[in-house]
Amino acid sequence: MTTKFSVLGQRVHNIDGTEKVTGSAKYTFDVVLPNMLYGKILRSPHPHAKILKIDTRQAKKLIGVKAVVTGKDTLGHKQGIWRRFPELCDEEILCREKVRYIGDAVAAVAAIDEDTAEEALDLIDVEYDLLPAVFDPMEAIKEDAPQVHDGVELNINITRHIEWGDVDEAFKKCDHIREDQFKCSSQAHVCMETHDAVASFGHNGKLTVWTSTQSSYYIQRLLADMTDIRESDIRVINRHTGGGFGSKFELDSAQFCAAILSQKLCQPVKIVLSREEEFTATKRRTPMYYALKLGAKKDGTLLAKEARVITEGGAYTSMGATALYLTGFFSSFPYKYPNYRYDGYRVYTNTAPTSAMRGFGAPQSTFVGESQLDMMAEDLGIDPIEIRRKNGMTPNYEVPGQAFIQSCGLHQCLDKIDEHIKERGKLPPNHGIGVASYGFMSGGIFNWFNTPYAFSAAVVRINVDGKVDVYTGACDIGQGSNTTLAMICAEELGIKLEDVRVFSGDTGICPPDLGAWGSRQTLMSGNAVKRAAEDCKNQIMEFAAAKMGVNIVYDLDIKDSWIHIVARPERGVSYYDIVKEAIRGKDGVAIMGRGHYTPHRKGMISPAYSFGVQAVEVAVDIETGRYKLVYVTTAHESGTVINPVGIEGQLEGAIMMAGGYGYCEDQPMDDGKILNPSIADYKLIRSLDMPETKILEIDTYEPEGPFGAKEAGEGLTNPTAGAIGNAIYKAVGVRINDLPITPEKVFKALREKEKKKAK
Amino acid sequence: MKKELKIKVNGQPYDLFVKPNTLLSEVLRDDLGLTGTKRGCNSSSCGACTVMLNGMSVKSCSVLAIQANGSELVTVEGLAKGNKLSPLQNAFLDHGSYQCGFCTPGMLMSSKALLTENPKPTKEEMKEGIDGNICRCTGYNSIIRAITAVVKGEYKEAK
Amino acid sequence: MIKDFEHFAPKTLKEALALLDKYQDDCKVICGGQSLLILMRQGLVAPPYMIDIKGISELSYIKDEKDGLKIGATTTHRAIEKSPVIKKKYPVLAKMETRLASIQTRNWGTIGGNVCHGDPAGDPLPVLIALGATLTMAGSKGKRSMPAEDFCLDYFETALEPVELLTEIALPIVPPNSGTAYTKFNVIESDLATVGVAVSVTLGAGDSCQDIRIVLGASAPTPMRPKKAEAVLKGKKITDALLAQAGETAATEADPISDIYASEEYRRELIKVLVPRLTREAMANAKKA
Repeated sequence: MTTKFSVLGQRVHNIDGTEKVTGSAKYTFDVVLPNMLYGKILRSPHPHAKILKIDTRQAKKLIGVKAVVTGKDTLGHKQGIWRRFPELCDEEILCREKVRYIGDAVAAVAAIDEDTAEEALDLIDVEYDLLPAVFDPMEAIKEDAPQVHDGVELNINITRHIEWGDVDEAFKKCDHIREDQFKCSSQAHVCMETHDAVASFGHNGKLTVWTSTQSSYYIQRLLADMTDIRESDIRVINRHTGGGFGSKFELDSAQFCAAILSQKLCQPVKIVLSREEEFTATKRRTPMYYALKLGAKKDGTLLAKEARVITEGGAYTSMGATALYLTGFFSSFPYKYPNYRYDGYRVYTNTAPTSAMRGFGAPQSTFVGESQLDMMAEDLGIDPIEIRRKNGMTPNYEVPGQAFIQSCGLHQCLDKIDEHIKERGKLPPNHGIGVASYGFMSGGIFNWFNTPYAFSAAVVRINVDGKVDVYTGACDIGQGSNTTLAMICAEELGIKLEDVRVFSGDTGICPPDLGAWGSRQTLMSGNAVKRAAEDCKNQIMEFAAAKMGVNIVYDLDIKDSWIHIVARPERGVSYYDIVKEAIRGKDGVAIMGRGHYTPHRKGMISPAYSFGVQAVEVAVDIETGRYKLVYVTTAHESGTVINPVGIEGQLEGAIMMAGGYGYCEDQPMDDGKILNPSIADYKLIRSLDMPETKILEIDTYEPEGPFGAKEAGEGLTNPTAGAIGNAIYKAVGVRINDLPITPEKVFKALREKEKKKAK
Repeated sequence: MKKELKIKVNGQPYDLFVKPNTLLSEVLRDDLGLTGTKRGCNSSSCGACTVMLNGMSVKSCSVLAIQANGSELVTVEGLAKGNKLSPLQNAFLDHGSYQCGFCTPGMLMSSKALLTENPKPTKEEMKEGIDGNICRCTGYNSIIRAITAVVKGEYKEAK
Repeated sequence: MIKDFEHFAPKTLKEALALLDKYQDDCKVICGGQSLLILMRQGLVAPPYMIDIKGISELSYIKDEKDGLKIGATTTHRAIEKSPVIKKKYPVLAKMETRLASIQTRNWGTIGGNVCHGDPAGDPLPVLIALGATLTMAGSKGKRSMPAEDFCLDYFETALEPVELLTEIALPIVPPNSGTAYTKFNVIESDLATVGVAVSVTLGAGDSCQDIRIVLGASAPTPMRPKKAEAVLKGKKITDALLAQAGETAATEADPISDIYASEEYRRELIKVLVPRLTREAMANAKKA
């Protein structure tokens, strides 16, 4: 670890840690306001139906019920996060004429307590006219399939095409071509805090919403779209958020229904989704059908790749359109394909909408791509690490027409993992180690949201006692961004971390920021905070230079709260003293710095990319197919490490989530009904199932990132499923192409293998 | 019909009246304002509502409040002594054993119950000790490291 | 939402039985409530009266007696798991408890409650049946006992009458040269069984199988003994071929369902693997005994 930094790289406590370990951290779930009511939402039990009539009279009569709203009480606007494309804004949230999945909201109640609100739901009479429904995208794409949205041909919601080189010509030159098909399952985010909101609309016409969200700004803007309240009359506050993982940056039914009810009553309304609603009526990871064609020379040089994808869209666009694009882009990762073609189709179905989840399309593409690459390596008789070395991306590589990669430590990661596997030595019988390489973006360059604001902005204020307040619209959803941003600010100003406070995720006091998605905050919000701090620092330095009377050729800097001449560190003055004088000198105005960041001239995807390689060791019980994740080792590079404790947490947490994606997490359905909508039935990795984990840090420096830092959040979710699949193959010689790789699938494949052998 | 409920929570006696269908978690959160205790699933699966009842861990979403009549409870708010954090709390801070923090109160209470019953658990016993608690952020291993550090005596109980 | 109910907390068995007589089908017995409260929250059970027997201390005990071990119905899982006498004399029972749900659930949930819930995937019953347990039920008109294996009638349906309480689980003294083993197959370590298998073996001369009980969990509407499979092994010198045959037979006798966790065929395949595996383990335990 480099020592040139004072704060970065230190093992620090999260700045909101004490609140979290004492139970005093206040989540939206804990917010109670005077005169507050509780809301509940009535949802469609049918996958596809016309709403003929909603009779709310009995519900309204129930003592304790204050209001019942239906789609008729809304403005009838359709919302969507792809705001630049009105045809993709397709979700009313409170349905007016038609429901499109089991869980679509049709009415909401506000009452004096949760029980009364729930009782009232039973008294609402909805008359439906059932329509034929379609659940499988492969069916939905057929000519005579039921139409999920009127006028959408073949139910195709959106298509994406990416291409470079001459793919067809290149395949002709290949010595070996593989064509394989895969299926990637759904996955639930399972945030520990379910979606929730407390909305308070006042007689003054202003709306305040406390909510568990990844982007306060998006929720503010989307609520404005839906209610016609002016954006700045809506304040969205996100203090602590009990997990997001991609599920909490679109407007959700809790937020919208609470707002509508509160608007009607001018009383605060709190809605907390139940765990069952969380599983059935919020968004989920996009299931994908993948067809891959890969061509290589005998020596393992990859010449061409073609990826075709059909994704199960569910009932609405949501963030699924981005997942469709990113899975296509990341299907080429992290290798240098001279020729590449991708065609993706997102298909509407009468199922719960599919959207963003940690990795955002890349866990799918990494599973399929890394599985197929191992198959290709075996066909060619090449070591899996070798084929990755041969084709892996390197620094300063341009993905043709798409992206420019500056820092890239993939090859160091491959070397480390190679060493690690050798160290593990000879494994016990039926153990196997599989590897997968991956890369991910540090925030997206896309502006489908159509924000006129900078992607990230920050204000830094230095108070008279030298304490610093950072104002950022970034959202800390548990990933520790408040701490990361505080560390960046402290490093830039040369002061102690304890001297920095962060105010975040409150649109009433913080400058807009797109929020926590696409692993963007370290780089984008980090750059904004760094620039704001730099702005402050420059102002302080003016006073310091004057005060110290230094020769103008000398450079000044601050370190450990000591403003000094760089060449003569002992000559200096206290930061605290200068701040006091500077404020006096500025006619009593606190020192304020502004910073913002929007990526420019960085291609179409992201300003920077992180890379890594993961090795997973499994132990298979060949009689039952049951296997255990034994050991997961990850060589990861994310540029300069700002918060090492944070990175460890991101990595180990990603293994729990991505290991679950590979091994056991799934959302089986029957006619559009999710069959396991509880934590008892939705299998999650628990502590007894968790493998040993090890991190091998790789040093890189990303010129575009704050102090050289880049992404360390979602990318870590990408490799595990693929590495598990490859490990199973190494252990017992069977290959599973559809997720999750359950023991039953392994068992069946082992039996098939035996049968073939017997013949 | 409401029934009398006498409980001691974090050393403080309370005399309350509750409906029999009230859950212990609801009394703690709604009646006593001890919102550190969370509700993650309300079906005994996630462990976010874990509290200690007469020295043992229970899921407070799956205990009727009246069944706790006469018992002594400890919630996450009762771990620190005055302004001094407990060893487990300090260890969780040092090891980054929390992220979003929503499961953390339950994790702390399960860890506390484990060490109360068994001050020198093996690693396997630690894993068992928190197996009833789901954490979607950390991957559990940092929590095991924190408990290990406490077991090794790296943190002293505040006087 | 749990519907309103009236709550009674009798302090003695006698009081509890009187309440049961009074309210009959209108009441439901709650003890630890670890399964019941989930059903009540889903609205599947909504009794107007609840008889809470958690506080009946006379039903919470573990007694090591001359004719075997007696466990009171309101004894918690955790008490069984931690009991020195159970760890010594019936280690399989203590070990089974370590993977039953979570510590929190075991701290509050009771063995009687679990047995009366009648879940075919529950862990205790297969082990109790393998150990030859007898269940005692009390009503205001008196007591009756039955072998644990006769207790479950169908999915979540037991032989317990609405006016009865399960009071005691009695385990006979383990005969010499006997061993028992239990495992459940599941995807997540502490999860309910996809398939559970308990085997109890008594070895005779030359390590022949003098007596055997095989119990399958989550393989039929109730925990079940595949008696034909037992017959394959009983009285014989156990060989790999016989074990495989017993596994095959048990798989045919079982009547498993397909659900989201496993297909019917896979459950049968698991039985084929686990019956021989657990029989071997039980035999090894018998030799250690």
